[in-house]
Amino acid sequence: MIDRDLDRNFTAVGKSVPRKDAALKARGEAKYTDDLTLPGMLYGKIKRSPYAHAIIKNIDCSRALALPGVQAVITGQEAPIPYGIVPQNPTEYALAVGKVRYSGEGVAAVAAVDEETAEEALELITVEYEPLPALLDPLEAMARDDVRIHENVPYNIMYEGNQEFGDPDGALARSAYVLEREFKTSYVNHAFLEPHAALAGFSPNGELTLYASTQIPHYLHRTLSLVLQMPMHKIRVSVPTVGGGFGGKGEVSSAELCAALLARKTGRPVKVTYERSEVFAQHKGRHPCLIKMKIGVDKDGLIQAVDFDNILDGGAYAGWGIVVLFYTAAMIHLPYKVPNARFRGRRVFTNKPTTGAMRGLGGVQPRFAMESMLDELAGMVGISPYEIRMRNAVESGYTTKSNVYVPHSEFKKCLQTAVEKSGYLEKHGKLPFGRGIGLAGGYYISGTAYTLYMSYKPHSSAMIRVDTEAGVTLYCGATDIGQGSDTVMAQMAAEALGVKYEDVHVVSGDTTLAPFDLGSFASRVTYGTGQAIKMAAAEINKKLFAIAAAELGVRAEHLTAKNYRIFSRFEPKKAMDWYKAVEKYIDAQGPLVGTGHYTPPRTGGKFQGGKIGQSPTFGFSAQVTEVEVDLKTGRVKVLKVTEAGDCGQAINPMSVEGQVEGSILMGMGQALYEEIKVAPDGKILNPNLHDYKIPTAMELPAIDSTIVESYDPTAPFGAKESGEGPIQPVIPAIANAVADAIGVRFTDLPITPEKVLRALQKKKQQS
Amino acid sequence: MLLPEFEYFAPGTVEEVLALLERFGDGAKILAGGTDLLLMMKDKVIRPRCLIDITGVAALNGIRYTPGQGLIIGAAAKIAVVERSPVVREKYFALHQAAGELGSAQVRAMATIGGNSCHASPAAETPPPLIALGAKVKLQSRAGERELPLADFILGNRQTALRNGEILTGFFLPEPPPNSASRYQCLGLRDAMEIDIVNAAVNLVLDEDGATCRDVRIVMGSVAPAPLRARQAESTLAGRRLDAAAIEEAARIAAGEAKPISDLRASAEYRREVTAVVVKRALQQAFYALTAGPNKGGLCS
Amino acid sequence: MKQLIELQVNGETYAVPVSPRDLLVDVLRKKLGLTGTKKGCGQGDCGACTVLVDGEPVLSCLTLAIACRGKKITTIEGLAENGRLHPLQQSFVDHGAIQCGFCTPGMILSAKALLDRNPAPPEEEIKRGLAGNLCRCTGYKKIVEAVGAAARALTAGNLAGPPPEEPAAGEPAGALPANGEVKS
Repeated sequence: MIDRDLDRNFTAVGKSVPRKDAALKARGEAKYTDDLTLPGMLYGKIKRSPYAHAIIKNIDCSRALALPGVQAVITGQEAPIPYGIVPQNPTEYALAVGKVRYSGEGVAAVAAVDEETAEEALELITVEYEPLPALLDPLEAMARDDVRIHENVPYNIMYEGNQEFGDPDGALARSAYVLEREFKTSYVNHAFLEPHAALAGFSPNGELTLYASTQIPHYLHRTLSLVLQMPMHKIRVSVPTVGGGFGGKGEVSSAELCAALLARKTGRPVKVTYERSEVFAQHKGRHPCLIKMKIGVDKDGLIQAVDFDNILDGGAYAGWGIVVLFYTAAMIHLPYKVPNARFRGRRVFTNKPTTGAMRGLGGVQPRFAMESMLDELAGMVGISPYEIRMRNAVESGYTTKSNVYVPHSEFKKCLQTAVEKSGYLEKHGKLPFGRGIGLAGGYYISGTAYTLYMSYKPHSSAMIRVDTEAGVTLYCGATDIGQGSDTVMAQMAAEALGVKYEDVHVVSGDTTLAPFDLGSFASRVTYGTGQAIKMAAAEINKKLFAIAAAELGVRAEHLTAKNYRIFSRFEPKKAMDWYKAVEKYIDAQGPLVGTGHYTPPRTGGKFQGGKIGQSPTFGFSAQVTEVEVDLKTGRVKVLKVTEAGDCGQAINPMSVEGQVEGSILMGMGQALYEEIKVAPDGKILNPNLHDYKIPTAMELPAIDSTIVESYDPTAPFGAKESGEGPIQPVIPAIANAVADAIGVRFTDLPITPEKVLRALQKKKQQS
Repeated sequence: MLLPEFEYFAPGTVEEVLALLERFGDGAKILAGGTDLLLMMKDKVIRPRCLIDITGVAALNGIRYTPGQGLIIGAAAKIAVVERSPVVREKYFALHQAAGELGSAQVRAMATIGGNSCHASPAAETPPPLIALGAKVKLQSRAGERELPLADFILGNRQTALRNGEILTGFFLPEPPPNSASRYQCLGLRDAMEIDIVNAAVNLVLDEDGATCRDVRIVMGSVAPAPLRARQAESTLAGRRLDAAAIEEAARIAAGEAKPISDLRASAEYRREVTAVVVKRALQQAFYALTAGPNKGGLCS
Repeated sequence: MKQLIELQVNGETYAVPVSPRDLLVDVLRKKLGLTGTKKGCGQGDCGACTVLVDGEPVLSCLTLAIACRGKKITTIEGLAENGRLHPLQQSFVDHGAIQCGFCTPGMILSAKALLDRNPAPPEEEIKRGLAGNLCRCTGYKKIVEAVGAAARALTAGNLAGPPPEEPAAGEPAGALPANGEVKS
């Protein structure tokens, strides 16, 4: 059969159609987890520790239990089975068992007839603690083997990873220019608008249904099975509308486990919805990193070697830690050619809310370092920051020294486009003092090659059912967390089948109703699920085209379908109504169903962490950012961002732009405003959205984004990721622009007015 | 986040408010906009027995201007109403600016000008311009009425001169003298929704020559437990011909008068340094408004 | 202690038992089932709970329900008329200004309050009017564009929003017939 992608004469793909759920959301009728109620539902709330590190001596729940309206109280002892998103390293509990490791950790939970009673009951639970020293700084934690946050982890180093490729020392020694720098990134939170929420209910047959605001129903499903000691087939995870995730709703939350445990204990449905402060306690945000990086280039600016040492502040538990650790390692090998490299990384436990996965995980921190250093190296070589990037940029078909194959890259086109559209070369180094322009590049994976536990099952699957009653229904496990995956999947199914996008029903994000999918993370959905959808549609087409071929008297492989017609590519007049073929098929053969699945190639290297960073393909982007620095107050204002991205063929360009614009503002937040601040006793000082400052509409700069002409032949309809790549260049582009503006390079995030003013004063004193 | 239990009253007259205050004593709190009070109650910082909602008391609402005398703003006037008031914009520009910088559109629609002073947050937006403009507060209790300069009303962080059984009914702002202009400046990390690192208001009066400072008031916020008059800076300028150097010097002196603290929003040192900047910019803009045209400037940076 | 109060929401009058401590957001969501009003922070920082009270944008997480007696409350559910999206809602849909949608109801109501007062705001005024509504998904650009476009549509008198898409004449086959029977 001829691949329909080849003509690229798309009818549903590449169109900026409104999202499937947009009107429902505009009317306020989309149901999020906290909007749901079940008959007899109770409200659950979690009692949290005021100590960052303490032994739990005793928990007295008797007064809470005596409060009228309280139906149950649980403590960690009732579910003492540890879990973790990386199953080989389970360290967390539904509620703390034996000791607490961060301020705000859950120690008990109540279910009561209303929220007021539940909240009152929390105050009646008395917990006796024996405080332990709180280790808040990873360097201190590594020096204090006398205070172990986890008993079996010496020096609080959760994991140390080492990688070496080629001869980094020799290459550095031979380099014409070598630059060494240290960087420090900040403690930032996803700050999605919808707090975590979960609603659990048991059927009379003992089957659990959990509605939850999650990105990864599958790992939640597995974890519920583990912690509740129930078979997976007795559990259904169903995902209502999700109010944003950005990685933070990938790991199981206490809300989900406590709702299920309390529902089992009371025999009634229980809903647990977090307060904003609890979102910060659950956290799982970006790892603060202490980075030492050394880069050597030859006289022409070609990178010879990168030596990278990274200390990641992991907070209290393991979470995604080992994965993030090795992602930071992987991220130095692209989007520039690096022939020799060394990585040493340590992920360290501290007594703070756990860090984890956040949009572009593992990439953002080393990208900040590397892109900042490339600007400096360009100056040493005597070429422009643009030129050094173009000389080193990867192209399609490149294989990194870490054995990562890049099937397709338009990175150079991204750099060219952003530089030309912004007038970068005309402005860089030439703007008045206080105004600056900065360039940075970036890339990200489009899915991961491996599951987190040993398994050979497909990572993505899809099922399409067609009949003359319900029309076209697409079932797939991918979860729409606000990124718009339902829409993109419907567009791809519509394209592959030759039907209208609006008519494709999507059933997703439900472990019972939809076939298996790993979840919405690692920018894997469009690429992976897209492959599965194409395969499922091909099966439908094969069945329908056989019917049509006989009816029309043409060969089936000459047929194609568009706008509900099946017709010959060569004689379009030989055509048949699509639903007529469906009807004939069903009349003769029974239900019309197609299934598809996708597993990325199991590529990788035989070295520590060698599976991480492997992806079937990669997205690329470049950004040029213009800033203005208030020389008197130190405040940095982002004026304009010119972005160019290679996401392959955009399935929905309007959605791609939305990902890019959202990424730019999120990156700006980390660069300039956002930072969780921790008191000496480990308490978070700003667990709220007035002092944890995400950008408001007032901070919106001019944004000029371009989706560069691109088509990845390995990808479904040529499409690659666009959700996590565009955030990669944001911070270094701002830092490079600030350096251009005032001649000071910031290596410590966020770049606050105070730091800028200090630097300006220091500069003035020196000159 | 839930509120503790309390009784709720929505009296229609000041007399009823005062009677309730007498009845409940310390257990009562006045509810106006609620944007500060209800937050404190949610955090269980305070647990009043009763809330007296004054937003329905007609006498506490509204803005009344009497030419030649001045302006009366009811304590329960919403910040948004103050911001939009043509007379405030025309005659008391710094107050107009500060009202526009307070919180968000929603907070401005809810919060009241009385609440902003009674809450007595060191970072509050409207007290510095009100003090710079010579505002007096009108206080009433069953014992009678009294007036105090606002500067003597706000005593410190969350501390006011309100007596038991007494409420703030409104503000009186005198008619601005001819050749005067007021301006407000603030600094936060972002351009909206900020609790200011520092803010400042100036009210500048020039002689007929249009160049000599007859009188000036400089009031700084977020640099002390209560809004702080920069009296030395003021006296540096009084009687002096204004130019860039004079303004610069006054701003530097004002910064020296500031008594900032370090907190999670900024260090004391930084606060002191940028105090000079916001004072200077406010002075420049007021001077510019008087010498180059009406209602110019007003940018908050 | 609960008392029965009357609340006027979206043109309907409801008798609701409330305690003084009950916040408007909870009464709307739990007692009236109007869950379009969202709770994002409970502290007046995010704006997701914004509703209109007598036309003014108000944070329902910091508003006592009992204080809303006799006032006209508009929630997101009250904007569409006769099943037709309000021009602002339509503009948000058309411009891709909605991603996760959690900020959308509050954002649209803030925009409505702004346009009701200022029908043709410049871009800076739109940004300022929406500054109290945090959004983490969109980066605000498409939201600001959507509000600008809605303002232009409203002032141009095109109050009903864009006309519904007419099926092109003579389009082959098309969607499934309502009764599931395929015509030969």
